[in-house]
Amino acid sequence: MAAHDITPTRSVLLELKKKIKLSQSGYKIMKMKRDGLIIEFFEVLEKARAMRAGVASDFQAAMKKITIARAVDGEIAVRSAAYALQNYPTVKLSSKSIMGMMVPKVEAESIHTSIVNKGYGVIETSAYIEDAAAAFEKLLETLVRAAEVETTMKKLLDEIERTKRRVNALEFKIIPELKDSERFVKFRLEEMERENTTRLKHLKKKGAAAE
Amino acid sequence: MFRSTGKKGNYAYTSARVKAKKSKLLREEDYNKMLMMSVPEISHYISDAGYSREIADLATRHSGLDLLEYATYANMAKAFRSILLASTGELYDMVLAYLTKWDFWNLKVVLRGKSYGLAADQIREDLVPAGKLQEDSLNKLLAAGTIEDTLAVFSAMAHVHFPTEILNSYKDTHSLGDIEDYLVKVYYKNLLELFGTDTRPSLIFRNYIRSEIDVLNLETVLKLKAGGILGEAGMKYYVPGGIEIDEKLMLQMLTAPDMKTLEGSVAQIQIAADIKGVLPTNPTMQEIVAAMKQYEIGLANSVAHMYPLSVIPVFDYMIHKENEVGNIRMIARGTESGLDRETMKTLLVM
Repeated sequence: MAAHDITPTRSVLLELKKKIKLSQSGYKIMKMKRDGLIIEFFEVLEKARAMRAGVASDFQAAMKKITIARAVDGEIAVRSAAYALQNYPTVKLSSKSIMGMMVPKVEAESIHTSIVNKGYGVIETSAYIEDAAAAFEKLLETLVRAAEVETTMKKLLDEIERTKRRVNALEFKIIPELKDSERFVKFRLEEMERENTTRLKHLKKKGAAAE
Repeated sequence: MFRSTGKKGNYAYTSARVKAKKSKLLREEDYNKMLMMSVPEISHYISDAGYSREIADLATRHSGLDLLEYATYANMAKAFRSILLASTGELYDMVLAYLTKWDFWNLKVVLRGKSYGLAADQIREDLVPAGKLQEDSLNKLLAAGTIEDTLAVFSAMAHVHFPTEILNSYKDTHSLGDIEDYLVKVYYKNLLELFGTDTRPSLIFRNYIRSEIDVLNLETVLKLKAGGILGEAGMKYYVPGGIEIDEKLMLQMLTAPDMKTLEGSVAQIQIAADIKGVLPTNPTMQEIVAAMKQYEIGLANSVAHMYPLSVIPVFDYMIHKENEVGNIRMIARGTESGLDRETMKTLLVM
């Protein structure tokens, strides 16, 4: 809105003053939110880094164990043990709020199954297969936690970007424009005031001359 | 389950055939060579070592490591079948009893496949007809509709009675665990019943089976401990008949609160003393299990040359043939997956 497009009246000036005040307090809050989100992001980033390292190491360990199980017991035995499994892992999704932003909360349910409840025989199922199953359960648990942290991190990044744009818009566009408009209205009102005074003086002079 | 024919077996003939077969088995130096090869080279090498026909037969349906695995199993099944057909009398009964483990293995594969909802053709691929049940019988198993029907068909063919509590346990939980564990117990019970103490060779093999039960029980304790199952609850998985691990020792091991206490209980038995030397400090479960497998084959080797005209050379060959198949598969899969040579050497059973 160009400053010259507005009608220079006292009510407009009051409205503009209100808007400026609101924008300035909004700017302050947004800036605080942005800074808070950045601090939060760095905390989550650290967690995500550790989680990624955990996923990589758990994945390597699980792959090594499944390789050994497949090598020692054979593909048929490993596959057959997998067919016997009774419980399937489930994931519970909910959400939590970080500085007003909703982030997902992922909880894994029934990932770890006891050897006696897996669905296959305990006695003859090889220790290698059991070891590999335990390693994959651990990997899955880490993956679920990593999914939560990674999604939170991505959401935080998006929110920081959005907040940054709003802060910049307020700081460099909205507030300066409002101030410009305020200056224009003030100037116009003062000018009108001066015009009025001059007009009054002129009328007074005319009146005196007529008497 | 097994009714003896009462006739004496043709030990001399079967032992001579088995001796010829054993001479063709891969040796330590062959495995060392294979450890340096790529998978195609391993395939070529084992083709020259007697697996060529099975590799050629299965090449249209499988490729790569799967071909190697299926071909080695097929070769083993053929070798065992030929021994079974060559033997007569009580030797036939004993070989048959030993090979029942493959019938139980096939039943497990069928049950697991069916419980997962696989088609019969998919399950058929994974069967190893190395036991009494050949293709026709296995097809009948596959054709049975439900798990209960499959068990009934198997029961009629293999003369294995499934107690009501085992069947009820399946009905209640839909878990195959109890059925599978029951099959293991039945297998060892039948073997121990068949191999009496009347002759020296029979006694030697009986003792080998009893040591195998000890190893199995020890492995069960390790698995249960790793899974956090302590005490009386683990006794359900105890296989009776071992030499050293009786119910009391099993319970003692299962109730041990930590590995240190378990080590104390295990120290009393010979297996522990024998494998201790090859284990590193703080061994992993895998290292202990690998050492126990080595111990088992060592035990078989130690009696292999006794009584050349008895049941011992026949079983010695079958044990070594199973190991050969396992070793080939291990080297091939290990090489393909980039497993380091040292790990593969630890896992080789020689």
